[in-house]
Amino acid sequence: MRGLFHKVPLYWGLAILLFMMLFPFVNDSRSMLILLTQIFIFAIFAMSFDILLGYTGIVSFGHCMFFGIGAYSTAIIFNHLEATLFNFIIGLVIGIILSALVSYIIGLLSLRLKSHFYAMLTLAVSQLFLVLAEKWRGLTHGGDGFTFSVPDVFKDRTSFYYITLLSVAVVFLLLKLFTESSTGKVLKAISQNEYRAEALGYKSLHYKLIASVTAGVAASFSGALYAVSLRFINTNVFSIEVTLDALLMTMIGGIGTLAGAIAGAGIIEFLRHYLSELAMTYPIFERWTIILGFLYIVVLLGFPSGLAGFIKRITLNNKMKAKKKGELERTTA
Amino acid sequence: MEVFINLLVNGVSTGLLIFLLAAGLTLIFGLMSVLNFAHGGLFVWGAFSGAWIFKETNSFLLAIVGAVGIGMALGWVLERFLIRPVYGNHVRQLLITLGGMLVLSESIKIFWGPNPIRVNLPGWLEGSYQFDGIIIIKYRVFVIVVGLLLYMALWLLLSRTQIGLMIRAGVMDKEMVQALGINVKGLFTFVFLLGAALAALGGALLAPYSGVVFAEMGMQYAILAFIVVIIGGMGSLQGSALASLIVGVAGAFMAYYIPDLSLALNMLLLAIVLLVKPTGLMGEKGSAV
Repeated sequence: MRGLFHKVPLYWGLAILLFMMLFPFVNDSRSMLILLTQIFIFAIFAMSFDILLGYTGIVSFGHCMFFGIGAYSTAIIFNHLEATLFNFIIGLVIGIILSALVSYIIGLLSLRLKSHFYAMLTLAVSQLFLVLAEKWRGLTHGGDGFTFSVPDVFKDRTSFYYITLLSVAVVFLLLKLFTESSTGKVLKAISQNEYRAEALGYKSLHYKLIASVTAGVAASFSGALYAVSLRFINTNVFSIEVTLDALLMTMIGGIGTLAGAIAGAGIIEFLRHYLSELAMTYPIFERWTIILGFLYIVVLLGFPSGLAGFIKRITLNNKMKAKKKGELERTTA
Repeated sequence: MEVFINLLVNGVSTGLLIFLLAAGLTLIFGLMSVLNFAHGGLFVWGAFSGAWIFKETNSFLLAIVGAVGIGMALGWVLERFLIRPVYGNHVRQLLITLGGMLVLSESIKIFWGPNPIRVNLPGWLEGSYQFDGIIIIKYRVFVIVVGLLLYMALWLLLSRTQIGLMIRAGVMDKEMVQALGINVKGLFTFVFLLGAALAALGGALLAPYSGVVFAEMGMQYAILAFIVVIIGGMGSLQGSALASLIVGVAGAFMAYYIPDLSLALNMLLLAIVLLVKPTGLMGEKGSAV
């Protein structure tokens, strides 16, 4: 089932992009820019997760590891080398290569088995990375983390805003092309009925590996941007909460739609921002993670296709009603 | 020699604690192919409620009974409201049990605060035994005894009773059992509650063992239990018992000699099993593919 956002024509996307590009001229409050930058970064992350969950139908519970690999690669490079754009590219490439390797190996080990194995193995390996980051103090400074300096163009909030916005647009287009390609079509087929796809002659392991590596690479990119946005890194990037963020964003936005993932990232980050503000007056909101957890369960049980599916259902219903009304008028007339 | 025996006792007792967690997981999976990611949440609830009741009442027995009761109550809620609605859909089951895990471990922080809590040993289990200079901590022996007794009880339940027969038959061929007129859903609820009770008991026993409890440990031990379930073979109780001992003992020795690699060792074991025999050591039915 395809969500509404799939059918949103290109000019809608362009209009949103244009609005976002003009936004800093309308409202240049610093905290708003930071929040939006954060949303863009997590939108890339959520889209990468959706390639797995929504488009291929495989569940990963360790997606944070690619985010963390990307973040640490960039951070460690900046910690040891000068803060130049060229070094950023180096860190990015290292992170991407590492992520691709790790996702390939995990996929090779578990993707030929039932979906449970991939979920468990990714969870276990991501925890292994968390321990590694805590133990390898010489490189990562353990749980305390470290700060580092970044190129000037990243330091300026407005220019970084545009960089992340551009990144979201480019990643969205690339992933869109990927999902619309023949490979993407096979992935969709696998998510609907793996045996049938196999029977048609598609080696599902091969295609699932492609999806796994693509998702890992995209997540690594978002991690690198995240590290740069904070100019600080610690082992939190490997925590299970990061994976849960991706899960929540894709679930709430609507799985199987890239635009849904972006919307989900926006909703979750806004919610988190305002809930943590509320927490200053009402201490109960300090534990907002549990609110997100309940929200997640409610969405899973009540709206399995997320916001995108919900909107689609409403518009479909309206269309049906209009159609029925038309028919009724015709018959009575 | 002393070190060897101590490590062995450590490893076996940790292994048996992991087994309590893994037994529920593997039975639940075997019967309904539900992989319960919230199992670690029940474990950590067992640990916290056990520690809390022990602190309030000073009775270790009461603490264990209370923890098991709370674990079963939570397990019932979990089964009734989260797992039943998505019955038969693997992807949504995986997703929703993770949500359950999140809520369970976060609610721990609401009840007991975000900081780790210290737990004392009950008086009659403090201290240690001494044989020829080899010192063995009493509580570890206690855990081993309880773990072995529970394993025996589970084995008897599965092999000697009517309901055990139904469970084993259900693990083998669920549709057939259903066709014979046995209420598989009711059976599943029973197994789920049993698993929840074992997980909570494992948590309650672990709390004084490690001396400190924290909300994140549910996830840590759940991961160990998953590794054990895969190595042992999903759905196989004996496999889980064997794999628990392997993981526990290997972990104890690695933690002593090469501490940094102890988690990596489990991953290595897991990778080998997945490559060579994805059904696990004792998984009979081809449940892996």
